[in-house]
Amino acid sequence: MSNLFRAALLLLSLAVLAPGAWAADSPVNDKKLTVMLDWFVNPDHAALIVAQEKGFFAAQNLEVDLQTPADPNDPPKLVAAGKVDLAITYQPQLHIHVNAGLPIKRIGTLVATPLNSLVVLKGGPVKTLADLKGRKIGYSVGGFEEALLKAMLAKADLKPEDVTLVNVNFSLAPSLLSKQVDAVIGAFRNFELNQLDLAKKPGQAFYPEEEGVLPYDELVLVANRDQLNDPRLGRFVIALEQATLYLLNHPDEAWKAFVVKHKDLDDELNRRAWRDTLPRLARRPAALDEARYKRFAQFLVKQGVITVALPVSNYAVQLPSSE
Amino acid sequence: MKGLGRGLLTLAGLLLVWQGVVTLGELPPYILPDPSAVAASLWRNANSLLGHASVTALEIVLGMTLGTLLGGATALALGYSRRARRWLLPVLIASQAIPVFAIAPLLVLWLGYGLGSKIAMAMLIIYFPVTANFYDGLRHTPRGWLDLARVMLPEPRRWAVLRHIALPAALPALGSGLRVAAAVAPIGAVLGEWVGSSAGLGYLMLHANSRMQVDLLFAALLVLAALAVGLYFAVDAGLKRWLPWHPPNPETVETD
Amino acid sequence: MAPAPLGVSLRAARLVYGGLTLFDGLDLELSGGCFTCLLGPSGIGKTSLLRLLAGLTAVGVSGELRGDDGLPLTGRVAYMAQQDLLLPWLTVLDNVTLGSRLRGERPDRERALRLLARVGLTDCALARPDTLSGGMRQRAALARTLMEDRPVVLMDEPFSGLDALTRLRLQALAAELLAGRTVLLVTHDPLEALRLGDHVLVMNGRPAILSPLPDLPGVPPRDPGDPAVQAAYRAILRLLGAT
Repeated sequence: MSNLFRAALLLLSLAVLAPGAWAADSPVNDKKLTVMLDWFVNPDHAALIVAQEKGFFAAQNLEVDLQTPADPNDPPKLVAAGKVDLAITYQPQLHIHVNAGLPIKRIGTLVATPLNSLVVLKGGPVKTLADLKGRKIGYSVGGFEEALLKAMLAKADLKPEDVTLVNVNFSLAPSLLSKQVDAVIGAFRNFELNQLDLAKKPGQAFYPEEEGVLPYDELVLVANRDQLNDPRLGRFVIALEQATLYLLNHPDEAWKAFVVKHKDLDDELNRRAWRDTLPRLARRPAALDEARYKRFAQFLVKQGVITVALPVSNYAVQLPSSE
Repeated sequence: MKGLGRGLLTLAGLLLVWQGVVTLGELPPYILPDPSAVAASLWRNANSLLGHASVTALEIVLGMTLGTLLGGATALALGYSRRARRWLLPVLIASQAIPVFAIAPLLVLWLGYGLGSKIAMAMLIIYFPVTANFYDGLRHTPRGWLDLARVMLPEPRRWAVLRHIALPAALPALGSGLRVAAAVAPIGAVLGEWVGSSAGLGYLMLHANSRMQVDLLFAALLVLAALAVGLYFAVDAGLKRWLPWHPPNPETVETD
Repeated sequence: MAPAPLGVSLRAARLVYGGLTLFDGLDLELSGGCFTCLLGPSGIGKTSLLRLLAGLTAVGVSGELRGDDGLPLTGRVAYMAQQDLLLPWLTVLDNVTLGSRLRGERPDRERALRLLARVGLTDCALARPDTLSGGMRQRAALARTLMEDRPVVLMDEPFSGLDALTRLRLQALAAELLAGRTVLLVTHDPLEALRLGDHVLVMNGRPAILSPLPDLPGVPPRDPGDPAVQAAYRAILRLLGAT
C-alpha cells in the first residue's frame, strides 16, 4: 500500500473516532434515553423489556431506546464517550474500566448474583476442579475471567500454568461440544447450561462464588459520571423496579410481553433461560451494598486484575430520591 | 535510501497528526492513546509483542504459501481443462462472495484453535485474487508467441507451450495477485485469531481490549501494520528478483 | 548450407471476414529458392494470406496448400513477424534455440552462437531482450528464424517497425542470410519489395487479386538509386493509385 493511502486510512479512522469525544456535551433530549445492552437481547434483560412493553417507562415519562452492541466491551466506553446515556455491563468489568479512567458510575443492578460459571460436559474427564490439570479451558473475556479461573483453580490447589487457556471468543458451547476444549469459563449458568441440555450433552457447572470467588453483581446499569444529575436516571431505576415486581408476580404474562417484542426468542432455549433467570434478578435495582462492592474490589486487587481498590463512591452510587 | 527517507518523513507526519487529534480533540486515553503512551507500551511489552507477532507472522507466511500453491494449481486447471472450468469456476467465485468472517467460526470448529484455522483463513482470503489473476494471465498469452510456437511445432504440444511460453508469460499476472494477497493475508490470519486462539497479535488485541489496555491494543495494531507492510515489500522485492524482466526496461535505445 | 529449394503452391484461397470477402479463388505460386515479395495496402489481406501459408489458419479462410513435391507444408516453415516475438524472460541465445526446446530436442548451442555472430550479435548472446534496441532484436529474431533451418520462410513486415537506416541494413542482411530459401516477404513498402524481391506480387482490389510485376534485373539487395528500380517504383505507385 502506498504511503499516501496509509495516511488517508489513518486519518479516516481518526475522523471516525474523534467526534465521539466532542459529542460528550451534546444537549440532552428531554425524553429519549438510549440504553446500550451488553449483548443481544436475552432473558437477562427481562426487566428492561417488560418495563418497555408494559408501559412502566412510559408511566415515568420516559422514552427508552434499547440498542445492542457489536462487542460486549463497547457499552461502557460508549457511555464514557457520551454516545449513549446508559449501558449494561458486568460489575467486574466496571472495576476494570473505572481503574482505566472511564468516567462511569453504576446506578443500578439488573442481575444481583454471579451468572458466570466454569462448565464441563457431564460424564467427561473433568469431575472435580482438580481434574482440570493439564487441560484446555476456553474463555471469552480476557482479564476478569482469567482471575476467576485463577481463584477457582487455587481452591483445587492448581496454578494457572497447570491449564492451557484458549480464547474462544464467545463460542463457548460449540467449543465445548466439539471437544476442542475440556472446559469453558464465561458461560452463564442460566444460558449455556440450557444450551448444552438442548444439545443432549448436559453440562456440569462449577460456581465461582462457591469456589473461592467473592459474590458480585453480574449485570449492572452504568451512566456517565457527569450526567448523574439527570432526573430521568432516577425515574428509569424506579420503572425498572416496578417491572421486576411485575415479573415476579406475573411471570407468564411477562414472558408473553417479552416474546411479542422479540419473536425470534420464542424458543425452548430462551424459555428455559427465562425460568432460570427470574430468581436472580435484582429485586431492588437501585440498592447498593457498598461493603460488598468494596470487598470485591479488594479481591480483584489481590488477584492482580486491578492495581488499587478505589473508593466505592467513585464508581457506584445509589441514586438520591427524585421526589 | 531515498525511499527510506521519504518513508520516515511520512511516519513523522502521521505521528504529528495522531498527536494533534488526541490533543486538539481532547480524546480520552481509553478511546485513542497518544503516541508516547503507545510507544511506552511497545517498549514495555516488547517481548510479548514479539512472541505474538511471530505466531501471526507464521500463520500469514504459511497461509500465503499454501494459498498460492492452491491458487496456482487451480488457475492451471482452469486454463487447461474444460471440465475443471465447469466445476471450479463457481467455487472460485463463491470463495470471493462469502465473507470470510462468516466462515471463520466454522473453520475454527473444524480445525481447532491452533495454527490450522488461521492458516486456512489466510488461504481462503487470498485464494480468489491469486487464482483470478494467474488465470487471467494464462488466458491472455500474447497471440504472437502462440503463433510462433504453432509454426515451430509440426504436432501441437500443449504442455511444451505451457511450460516454455504460457506459464512464464503469466507470471507477472500472478505477481499482481501476490501483491494483493500480501495486503489481505494478514486480515485473514487476524480474523481467525479473533474467532478463537491462544496466541497471536489478534488474540493480544482482543485481550488488551477487554482488559482496557488500550495502549497495548494500539501497540499490537502498529506491530500488525508493520508486519503487513513488511510482507508487502518482501513480496515486491521477491517479485523484482524473480521476474527481473518485468516490467520491461524503459530505457532501450532506439537505434541499431 | 540451405536445404533443397522447395516451391509452394496455394490454390483457390478464400478469406471472408466480417461479411466481407477479402479474396476468393486466389492462386499463389512461390518459386523454390527465390525471394518473393508481396506488396499491397493495409487491410487488403496480405497478413491473412501469409498466415494461411504458415498454417495459422483462422476461421473463414480456406485453400489448398502444398509444397511442389505434393506434400503438406507443416513443419517445413519458419515464421518471422513484425514484432520480434522474443520471450523477455529468456536470453537472446535461449530465444534463438526456442524451437528445439519446444520440440523437446537438445538445442545446438554452437550453431546458435554461429548464427548470432552472422547477424552481428555475438556480444549479446547472454543479454535479455529488453536491453537491446529494436534493430538488434529483429536481428535476434532473424537468427532464430535461421536456426529453424526450414526451406520456407514467411516474413510479415518484419522491418516496418524500425527506423529507415536500420531497415535498410537489416534488409541487406536478410537478403544475404536467406539466400537459397523460399521466402515470402509481406510488405507495404514498395521500395523494400523492389530491393529484395526476385519476384514481386502486388495484391490489390476487393476482392483482392495478385498481379505479378515484371522481374527486375540485378541480384537483391538492389541499389534503391538504380534507374530500373526507380522506374518500377513509379509504376507501382501508379498501379496502387497513389499518383
